[in-house]
Amino acid sequence: MKRRSLFNTGLGVVLFVVFVWSLVDLGIGPRLFWRGLPHFFRLVSEMFPPSWEVLTEPDILWSVVETLSMAFLGTFFGAAAAFVLALWAASNLTPSRLVRETVKALMAAERSMPTLVVVLVLIVVIGLGPFTGMVTVAIGSIGMLGRLFAEAMENVDPRPLDSLKSTGASKLQIIRYAVLPQVVPSLIANTLYRFDINLRTVLFLGVVGGGGIGFHLHLAMSLFRYADALAITAVILSVIWMAEQLSNHLRSVVIGRETLR
Amino acid sequence: MLSVQNVAKRLPDGRPLLKDISFEAKKGEFIGILGESGVGKTVLLRCINGLTAPDSGDVVINGGDTVIKVNGKRGQELRVIQQRIGMIFQGSILVKRLSVLENVLTGRLGRISTLRSLLYGFTEDEMTVALEQLERVGIKNLAHRRAETLSGGEMQRVAIARALFQEPYLLLADEPVANLDPKNTEVVMDYLKPLAKEVAIVGVFHAPELVSKYCTRAIGIRDGVVCYDGSPFISPSKLEDIYGTERAVCITSVA
Repeated sequence: MKRRSLFNTGLGVVLFVVFVWSLVDLGIGPRLFWRGLPHFFRLVSEMFPPSWEVLTEPDILWSVVETLSMAFLGTFFGAAAAFVLALWAASNLTPSRLVRETVKALMAAERSMPTLVVVLVLIVVIGLGPFTGMVTVAIGSIGMLGRLFAEAMENVDPRPLDSLKSTGASKLQIIRYAVLPQVVPSLIANTLYRFDINLRTVLFLGVVGGGGIGFHLHLAMSLFRYADALAITAVILSVIWMAEQLSNHLRSVVIGRETLR
Repeated sequence: MLSVQNVAKRLPDGRPLLKDISFEAKKGEFIGILGESGVGKTVLLRCINGLTAPDSGDVVINGGDTVIKVNGKRGQELRVIQQRIGMIFQGSILVKRLSVLENVLTGRLGRISTLRSLLYGFTEDEMTVALEQLERVGIKNLAHRRAETLSGGEMQRVAIARALFQEPYLLLADEPVANLDPKNTEVVMDYLKPLAKEVAIVGVFHAPELVSKYCTRAIGIRDGVVCYDGSPFISPSKLEDIYGTERAVCITSVA
């Protein structure tokens, strides 16, 4: 009892010291907010009225398409790679513990890699542009989707697998005809969810040179064309909103069909 | 058609489960295997099919002019043999999200190349034959329904159709009616019984009444050996040999 309360007091003191030290180190104080406030109001006043005419520029419209394709292709290739890796990571499909643990460790390492590091390395290797954005998104999807796919595969009903094995079906045939039908709803739902995440990632990648509409937003802000920036932001928000509505709808269709048994 | 010779199998912990099992099954026979639960009936079927390898003994299948030893084979070689052994499992083992027809078609996966089965699946001819098998068990009208929408009895009939679609030398049935109500039990068994004219059937059953009603021969297993082999109409004293005194009294009083 005594030791526990001593520990709690110590923890509280440490937390307080870290808090104060961080504040002092970063020079954070109420003055910063008061100083920033006028800038904020000036920015907002310069943003209005938004210059909707930038949206008629073919460049901008094209970049919306580019952004969506980057997110789509990146998610597609990421999901495809994750599916193959998941087969090697699922305990009911890969008997070798060594292979399973290796693939799982690779995917875990991949998950913990920050997107910013990936894209900066790829910019050096591949160069600026939408291809870099797509590859970054694909790589970022593999770790998470691979793990979720592997879990879905491990949770399938094992009896149909056994019965197909009894008819002399090969491993790949069992995967195609007994595993895949059981995991398809989960595969689709998780991939759609990842697409939502990837769309936001692609917008952010535009800022560091990945192309797409994010790049135009970054350009407008750097050139102090705030009215343009607001119009582009409105476009971005509506694209995200529409994509999310669509993927929500598709997800509920897939999962709804599943619960109809 | 089927010859089981001195098959023995130990449990993973080393205790002997099957000690010395031998019997033969010919076309026209519907053999019902009886025994207490845990005696190794299912393991015996899995040994016959090659899903489990026996520790010793042989399983030989004679399909017309080809004589094949099941045990000791692995990989592709084993799959070729398994392709011609139909197996009906306890409870539903269909792929629930595939259609009834697709479930029947999977019976021939072992015969077609992996590449074809991954790229475009099955031919028109195969579908026609699969539909004929569904017609034989009276559920052709359900061919395009999802398997998960079927009742337990219908699912077992799909399982029979799939086994027939394999063009089997031998049909194995592991408690095929264990989870069914009396009416569905009767329907499924009535479809199963006449198939013995074309192919030997070896089934595992929990109820001696079923065996005497449908089978042509009964085999009793106790303590890892065959303790009864003969008429499906088993006398109370012989039932005692199979199940031990208490259980046999219970069964005969119910019957």
